[in-house]
Amino acid sequence: MTSLTLQNRPQLASHARIQTDRVTGQTVLLFPEGILELNETSGAILERCNGRPIADLIADLAQHYEVPDSELQADVLEFLEDLHRRQLLRVP
Amino acid sequence: MTAPRPYALLAEVTYRCPLHCPYCSNPLQQGSGSELTSAEWARVLEEAAALGVLQVGFSGGEPLARHDLGEVIAAARAAGLFTNVLTSGVGLMATRLAELRSSGLDSIQLSLQADETNLADSIAGTRAHLIKLDAARLIKEAGLPLSLNVVLHRQNLDRLPQILSLAEELGAQRLELANTQYYGWALKNRAHLLPTKSQVDTARAVAEAAQKRLAGRMDVFYVLPDYYETRPKPCLAGWGRRYLTVNPLGDVLPCPTAFSIPDLALPNVRQHSLQWIWTESEAFNRFRGTAWMPEPCQSCDRREIDFGGCRCQAALLLGDATATDPVCTLSPRHQVVDDIVSSLQDPAPVPTWEMRAF
Repeated sequence: MTSLTLQNRPQLASHARIQTDRVTGQTVLLFPEGILELNETSGAILERCNGRPIADLIADLAQHYEVPDSELQADVLEFLEDLHRRQLLRVP
Repeated sequence: MTAPRPYALLAEVTYRCPLHCPYCSNPLQQGSGSELTSAEWARVLEEAAALGVLQVGFSGGEPLARHDLGEVIAAARAAGLFTNVLTSGVGLMATRLAELRSSGLDSIQLSLQADETNLADSIAGTRAHLIKLDAARLIKEAGLPLSLNVVLHRQNLDRLPQILSLAEELGAQRLELANTQYYGWALKNRAHLLPTKSQVDTARAVAEAAQKRLAGRMDVFYVLPDYYETRPKPCLAGWGRRYLTVNPLGDVLPCPTAFSIPDLALPNVRQHSLQWIWTESEAFNRFRGTAWMPEPCQSCDRREIDFGGCRCQAALLLGDATATDPVCTLSPRHQVVDDIVSSLQDPAPVPTWEMRAF
């Protein structure tokens, strides 16, 4: 599997769904045979996975958290690559 | 101890099934009573979601045998649950699939008995293999991820390379290779199902190689044959900890095979709320946590890793559901498992199955 670049435009796979956990109020990602409890940051990343380039997504996130893009880049890519490996993203 | 929150519910919506697999997970004797109605299921699913359940698997029997499955799926989705149907594929027409999709079906897991028609049909006890291949194509065409499940045993374990090829050819995204666990019908047919040590060793190497080769394309899960392990499986990650099963008659079980424990009174959703059953009932509290454990489990540093192993296995092999799972080499009665494995005949005799007739 090739790794993601800032130009890729990931979207959540059609068989995965974001849901609010009724017990904790946290965001969870649901998919066949699996549940991923998302912390606030990973939830914020996934909400922004709507087919735009990862670079844009990072810029948006950086603005939201008021930090420079460079501070987020490695973590965002790592998180998205992990999801991609689990076939939870569609990357055209 | 206080009850943790459950994550997943297995909803066995019917015992009816067109297949007759010799490892069928239906109980040997069914209780009397009527199947839960779709309205009753709707109530149970809402109660489950309120308890914390996030995922529901609709199983059986063959869940497609219920004509109101779409209604039940819609109720699950209304409660916010992720829905999965575990099916033989028999009865999965394009129109039915479209109906289930519009009801809110999220995913499907299709079972195969083998890669090859004659062998697969002889295991299923009916001509189903070609129907299943059609079902696999329908699932793909509908844009759903194809998830396959193959139960492995002495009769098909040597065909693992071909089974993997078939899964690849069908475009599966996920392949669950589940070595048979010996409860109910599988226990009755164990002499013909239990693989030999050399089969198990070869299969493990094949599965591990496939996991590496297919990483990122197809997730290959290999459920270990526990009679050949040195430590027991962490049964459902602990009794009454994450999972619950509701059977067609509304009985609630901490694990799908908990009917193997003779004196366990199963609470029923027609008499109690799911909340009471999960938190208060004796059945769900009996083996919850670690206080019930005998030695060597009680002082074992793995007690919260494998939770003493499988209670049903202890009940079935030792007649004592509170004993350490005899699969564990630390069990004082591990010899029972060694004796079973060493009594295997080689070469394998032609199987004479005891198949479910109802």
